[in-house]
Order: sequence, then C-alpha cells, then structure tokens
Amino acid sequence: MFIASTINNIKQAQNIKDYIDAYLVPIKDFSINYPNTFKLEEIKTIKNLKKQVFVIINKNIHNNELTSLENLLKQIETLNIDGIIFYDISIVNISQKLKLKTKLVWNQEHLATNYGTVNYWYEKGVKYAYLSSELTKREIDEIKNNTKAKLFVNIFGYLPMFTSRRHLVQNYLDTFNLNAQNNIQTINKEEKDYKINDTNNGTVVYSNYILNATDIDFSNIDYLVFSSIFIDENDFLEVLKNYKENKQNKFPKETGFLYKETIYKVK
Amino acid sequence: MKKPELLAPAGDLERLKIALLYGADAVYIGGAFNLRANADNFSLDDIKKGTDYAHKLNKKVYVTVNIAMHNKEYEKIANYLKNLDNIGVDAIIISDPAIIKLAKDTNLQIHLSTQASTLNKEAADFWKKEGVSRIVLARECQKEDITDIKNNIGIELEVFIHGAMCASYSGRCVLSNFLTNRDSNRGGCSQICRWDFDLYDGKKHLKGEKPFTFCTKDLSMAKHIPKLIDMQIDSLKIEGRMRSIYYIATIVKVYRQIIDEYCHNPEKYEYNLKYEDILRRVANRDSVTQFFDGNFGKEVQYYNGRQEITNQDFLGLVLDYDENTHLAKIEQRNYFKKGDKVEIFGPDKNFQFTIKNLYDEEKNPLEIVRHPRQIVYLEIPQKVSVNDMMKMC
Repeated sequence: MFIASTINNIKQAQNIKDYIDAYLVPIKDFSINYPNTFKLEEIKTIKNLKKQVFVIINKNIHNNELTSLENLLKQIETLNIDGIIFYDISIVNISQKLKLKTKLVWNQEHLATNYGTVNYWYEKGVKYAYLSSELTKREIDEIKNNTKAKLFVNIFGYLPMFTSRRHLVQNYLDTFNLNAQNNIQTINKEEKDYKINDTNNGTVVYSNYILNATDIDFSNIDYLVFSSIFIDENDFLEVLKNYKENKQNKFPKETGFLYKETIYKVK
Repeated sequence: MKKPELLAPAGDLERLKIALLYGADAVYIGGAFNLRANADNFSLDDIKKGTDYAHKLNKKVYVTVNIAMHNKEYEKIANYLKNLDNIGVDAIIISDPAIIKLAKDTNLQIHLSTQASTLNKEAADFWKKEGVSRIVLARECQKEDITDIKNNIGIELEVFIHGAMCASYSGRCVLSNFLTNRDSNRGGCSQICRWDFDLYDGKKHLKGEKPFTFCTKDLSMAKHIPKLIDMQIDSLKIEGRMRSIYYIATIVKVYRQIIDEYCHNPEKYEYNLKYEDILRRVANRDSVTQFFDGNFGKEVQYYNGRQEITNQDFLGLVLDYDENTHLAKIEQRNYFKKGDKVEIFGPDKNFQFTIKNLYDEEKNPLEIVRHPRQIVYLEIPQKVSVNDMMKMC
C-alpha cells in the first residue's frame, strides 16, 4: 500500500516527502479540479524528490487540443514518470498509436464504478484504476477481489462533484454586472457551503465536506490518495504525519459514500 | 443527398407510437439500466411490442443501457443484453465499455452514449476500433470538431438537436449524489443544476436580480439543420424521454418538416421562422444553439428563479372519428369550451376551426370540458385520425 498525495506547490512537495510514496501532479492547461497546476520543468524538480510521480491529465479533451496533447504526452514520455492519470479516452488512443511506455491510470472520476470496466481497461493495457468516490467500501473491496489492476482510492480531502465547460460564475457576474475579487467562490444552499472554481477550462464545484476516512482499513488498496486542495498546508502535513503514525487527525471523521449507498429509483 | 435519421425519445409505448407516427425514423427507449430510472421505463415485453411496431413501419428502436454500472448491475447486464438481442432491437446505447465486451456475444449494434463525452477524433477512433458503430457526440462539440471527426473517422455520428442540456460535461456531475443521495449516473438525477444557490465571494454575497443557478437554456438546432445535413451527420437526436406525447409530436413534426423541406430542394430552401415559434411555445423554455457555434457565455444561462409556466395548449387527443356524423371522440388534456378556436394537427395535417357542437360521453350537449382525461365528442368539419391532437390556436 502506497500513500499518494496531490500537491499545491513545490515547497509543499518537499515538506510532505517523508510521509508519502507518490505525488499526483496536475499539469498546466490539461488538469481540472486542481486550483494549482505545474509546468513540465517543475515535474523534473518533483522527480528529484525520489518518490513515485503520477501526472494528472484529467480534463475533457476538445478536438482542437489534440495536437498540444500529443506533444505533451511525448514530452512526458521523456520524464520517465510512474504514470499518467487520465480522463479522456484520446489519451489511450494516442498512447497506443505512439507506442508510449508511460503507464496509464484510468480515472474517469465518477464512472469508475465496477470491476467489469476496471478489467476492460486492464485488458487494453491500462493497469491502474482510480476508483470513483461514490462507491461504498463493500463495492471497493469487491472490485479489488475481482481485478488484477492496481487501485487508487480517495481517503482524504475535498471531492469534486461537478465539472462543466461553462463559465458559470463569470456568466452570472456578467449577467448582473457584479465583480468578484477572489479566484474561488462559494455557493450556499441550506446552510452548506460548496467551493466553486471557474477557470479557463470551465467550472468545478466541490463537496461541502472534507472526506476523512483515514481510520478505515484500506490495507488491500494499492494507492490511498490524500487531496491537498483547499487544505491549510500545515494542517495537511499534520494529517499525513498522523496517518503515518497511525493517529487520528484533527478533522472530523467523514466517510462520504463509503457506508452510504446512493439510491437511484425513487418509488 | 443523404437524409439523416430523425431520432426521437419515447418514455413509453404510447410515446413510441406517437414519435414514429409523427415522423421519427427511430426512437430510443429506456429499459432496466438507463439514466431515467424514475421514468415509466419499458419492460422487456414492452420493448418487444415497441420493436415489432417500429419494424412494421420500417423504423428502428434503440435501447439505452447507459448507466455507470456498479458491481451489482454489472453482474446482471449480460443476461439483459441477451434478452434485448432475442427481441431484435436495432442497437443499444451504452456508456460503460464493459458492455462492449459482453455484447460481442450478441448481434447488438453498439452506440456510444453522450455520457461518454466523446469530443475528439482520437477518442472516436478508439471506439471505432472497439466495435462501436455510432457515437453520440458530447454536447460540448463545436461544428468544427464535428466536421473533423466526421471527415477523419469513418463512424456514424449522432448529434443532439433539441431539448434540455446538462450544465456539466455528461458523466461529470454527481451533485445529486451529494445533495440528495440519488445517483445521477445511474438514473437518479434530481436536477440540482436547476436549484438556486447563494453565491459568495469571501463574505460578500454576490446577489443579482435573480439567484445564482447552473441552469442553462435548452438546445434548439432548428436553423442549423441544413448545415448538419451538409456535414453528413447520420442521426439527429431529440432529447426528452420524460416529455409528453404533445411535446414529442410537436417537436418531431417540426424537425421532420425541416429535414424534408431542405432535402427536397436544398437550393430553394428557406428557413421558416414559424417553426421557431412552435418549438418555443411547446417547451416554455428559451432555446439556443449553444456549443455548436462556440457559444457558452452568459446568453445561454437561464436565471429565472425556477418559475416555469406549464403549457396548457394541448387540449385533447383524437381517439376516433365518424366520417358520417363528423363527430370526433376526444380525450381531454386541458380545459376547453364551446366557441374556442382550436387547431387540429397530425402527422400529415394542420387546420383550425371553432368548436360549435360539443357533447359528453353519452352524447348530451356540453358547454365546457374541464375534467382531466374526460371523454367527449365534438364536431370537426374535416376528417381527423386516431392520434391527431387538438391544441389552442
């Protein structure tokens, strides 16, 4: 079992390196859901920290971005990193066409929900799967028991729950001649706050809570993911330290959907 | 000139028949594993009846099997596919590629749902090699993207032309899961994108005249149909499996007319603005072109405080007609009365008249029809047919 963590900046990568095994690094222009992204040169710096490195390319790829994507994949290939966490299927096709050797991690966010599909991608050469956060613990265990793929599972951090191409905040501001000073806003409903981030690539909305399932036994899972976004860097470091030392962290326990099955037929 | 398929939604057998009668070449329906879990979905028996009905008309039926399966659904799906194969449906619409492998043991054609968000030719190429015969493109595709995919990848393309839009990339919204514990990617979407929220920048409430919402206007591609035909798009899709027979009939008929008029004589084709009025009136929501033209700015957002007026234009459905007495048997859908000026429309007719003689089910004279689904008779000067509809002028 490896501890994987997203990072907000290089300094944070250095600060947490004793407590993690793998960095998950969002890449400039091709990642979404992460307020901070990294240039290729910075990935070289992160590689020097001698940990596993997975680059995140998780935006929906539009047709006019294919040339840039192909160039990016070729450049990443030279970095000898441990894998690319991908959303768009174009990445599989380009990778196969160019016979790229960098491993792929299937991460279709809310769609990685059963072992049949995990195995489908495994047979296509995608040996890692990053499971949906909307699964129960039992479903995760079932997937693990029915696949050879290595699995990533989120256990700490804010969770993205909506991704749009549209500029939903900017459209509202433009419509009603309003101005915002900050890069990230919140929307409130029934006394719950949800962070909303309108970027060049579109708009993302995050859970109102921090998933904190660090006391649950996931020893069967290959990569346990801690997400650093919107978390104070000192607090985040402490969370990782606590996990390493098998201690509870300061955040309230929150198990998301791990023990709460969603319904879909209301009758 | 290749005429594209006009593909309509059908929430049940009645709507399937109406869609095909009013001009759809094919319908898509929901079975046991589709993204409208709370619609009146088709049983296998209904799918068989609907498929037989469509095939008699030389038309097609596609079954949506497009949920993001969890393990328990995955374990049941193979058997379901065999049943669909035995029925002889023309294709299944999937988003989960695990089904591709399972469907290889059947004769089912595979259409890839818009839920898979195919936006580019590399992804399209991948799916083609996997045996997918048609891709329902992501709604975020612009016309240049569609052209490039069509010109470079030899695969059938299906494009949405009318109906509601997801505010998110398809498949990338689980607001329902988080806010209502209903799984949007398994058909439980509770349309949180239409809810109002308070938007804050730090502690400052960013408050416009209407509340913040993700909600977008609907899609209407009516004026771009000739362009889509010229681009050789294979199938033009209307959204709305939970819509009424009146909505389905009206929308299908309008697009049928546009396609036929353009294909009949492209050089002399002129866009008929009256179609826009009809489309606007039946939906009661603003419709715009959206991503096709690269437009996803403030003009496409819908800030209305969730106040939508119910359309009450649909007055009744024709159940029968006696050519000797000129009496039509009508099932009421909205209030009407003697003296109202109304319009009859059917797959091949439109005419207006004023209601003069109106009777109840026992043929007693009647002034007002106010009871839901009330059966009445009314004198109609021209011949009407079963499944013609009566609406307000």
